[in-house]
Amino acid sequence: MNPFWSNIFRKKLDEDSLAHFLKLLPFFSELDKRELQMVEGLLHTRRYSPQEIVFEEGDPGSGMYIIRSGRVRIFHRNGHGAEEELALLGPGDFFGETTLAAPAGRGASARTLESAELLGLFRADLLEAAQKNPSSANRILLGLTRILSERLQAASHELRRMKEQCEATGPRTPSPGLE
Amino acid sequence: MTRAQFILLYLALTGAIATGLAIFSSASTIISLIQTATEGLFLPVLLSMIMAFMMEPAVSFLEAVEVGRVKAIFIIYFLLGIIIYLAFTWLSPYWLNMWSSLATDLPRYTAKMISLIKDGQAYVHARVPFVTNYDLPAKARELAESLVAYTLVQAPKSALRLGSLMVLVPLFSFFFLRDGNRILRTIIRLAPNRYFEMVHDLSYLISRQMAHFIRGRILEAVIVGLVVSLGLSLTDIRYVPLLGAFAGVTNLIPYIGPLIGMVPGILIALVDLGTGGQFWWILVVYIVVAQVIVDNFILIPVLISRFSNLHPLWVIIAILMGGKLYGVIGMIIGVPVASIIKIAIIETRQYRSTFSLPGTLPEIDQ
Repeated sequence: MNPFWSNIFRKKLDEDSLAHFLKLLPFFSELDKRELQMVEGLLHTRRYSPQEIVFEEGDPGSGMYIIRSGRVRIFHRNGHGAEEELALLGPGDFFGETTLAAPAGRGASARTLESAELLGLFRADLLEAAQKNPSSANRILLGLTRILSERLQAASHELRRMKEQCEATGPRTPSPGLE
Repeated sequence: MTRAQFILLYLALTGAIATGLAIFSSASTIISLIQTATEGLFLPVLLSMIMAFMMEPAVSFLEAVEVGRVKAIFIIYFLLGIIIYLAFTWLSPYWLNMWSSLATDLPRYTAKMISLIKDGQAYVHARVPFVTNYDLPAKARELAESLVAYTLVQAPKSALRLGSLMVLVPLFSFFFLRDGNRILRTIIRLAPNRYFEMVHDLSYLISRQMAHFIRGRILEAVIVGLVVSLGLSLTDIRYVPLLGAFAGVTNLIPYIGPLIGMVPGILIALVDLGTGGQFWWILVVYIVVAQVIVDNFILIPVLISRFSNLHPLWVIIAILMGGKLYGVIGMIIGVPVASIIKIAIIETRQYRSTFSLPGTLPEIDQ
């Protein structure tokens, strides 16, 4: 086809690697090819250098990040400014998902440990997708909700376990480490 | 300081000043070059952006029923093309007829306006004699003559310009519709990592408000135009479609627009119909029906958020600046553009106050 016309009728190139990577994530495991393509269109690929801050505690949060490569440290600054590590995440992990549906400040800070590639998925894009393509957006949102519920269940389970532990060992405050 | 050092310092300073001047002059040359190059681009780009905003809901609707975006755009274009073609073939004899009779009638109407102004001035002069006798009628005559000449002579020329717009605007709006999101994303992508998320969120909020505002304004203008046409068509006044269109377009300018919009209608009514019952009916249509009932009670509360309301002072400034930049079209566009700027500022401020950010946003701070 003539390049001019091929430009007008261009379909999105099938970036096999990204679609393949997405398919492996629990969020998107049940999506078909077309929906995966749509997700690809929603994601923002960002490259970070080592030790770069992704967000700080208290920043306005509007979405989640999926780690495609590299490692990310989630931490909390205590009263003296020292960093308390909450989690160390690697490829395939995600963080910041609590602000995806409801706008809120970030509850913890995130910093890359090495050069990393993160995929950002933000509320604004999801809302737009939900308007334009409700049925596919529904399936994507359901996948996200499933993961969020699983995490919530795990968190409340952990909370109960800690409470029991506290009651067993006496009055001691549990360390905040649910993130 | 030795002599050599002094000379060195002198040379360095001279060199710095010379370089500064050279950079400045070349920069201004480049800027003026860019200005000349983009001069004719502003209007088609703006119009096609508005077109794209207007067609976006229809395209999204088709997309929601699983039609590809490009296909959806082509379908909308096709339907629009049919409508325009039909309107043209059915109405063109009527329009041509109206146009030629308007060319002969225009001098009569302007003469009436001049005599009205003369009367008005005589009235003022009689009451307040110390007002210096400023030659208003002559000014008005000059203006009117140039207007008539402009309409008669420039019409073919502006038709040519309109022709180029008719090619450019659909082309641009096609690409804005197809790639608008991608263009916006590419621009947002330039933001540094640290601010990316915020810029992305803000751009979404602002563009949503903007789309809402532009659609609301255009819809408002169309409905006011239709209401005026409908109301006027109940009388014997001529040029109803032109008057309706004029009232609709001028309605885009707040406060002053509706007043300007009713001037030609009232003039024509005075000349052709005199001050009978029909004249008062026309006045009622313009003021009470179109402005008060339809626009203020129904359209503005429904379509336009108070969000984008500008202070009258800003409205006047926007009209003056727009007029200076792009003439009559600038006057119409100026106020909406100012409103859009206000929307952007307010959204940013609201966003900042929602998350009271501790000095993390130096770039938006001002």
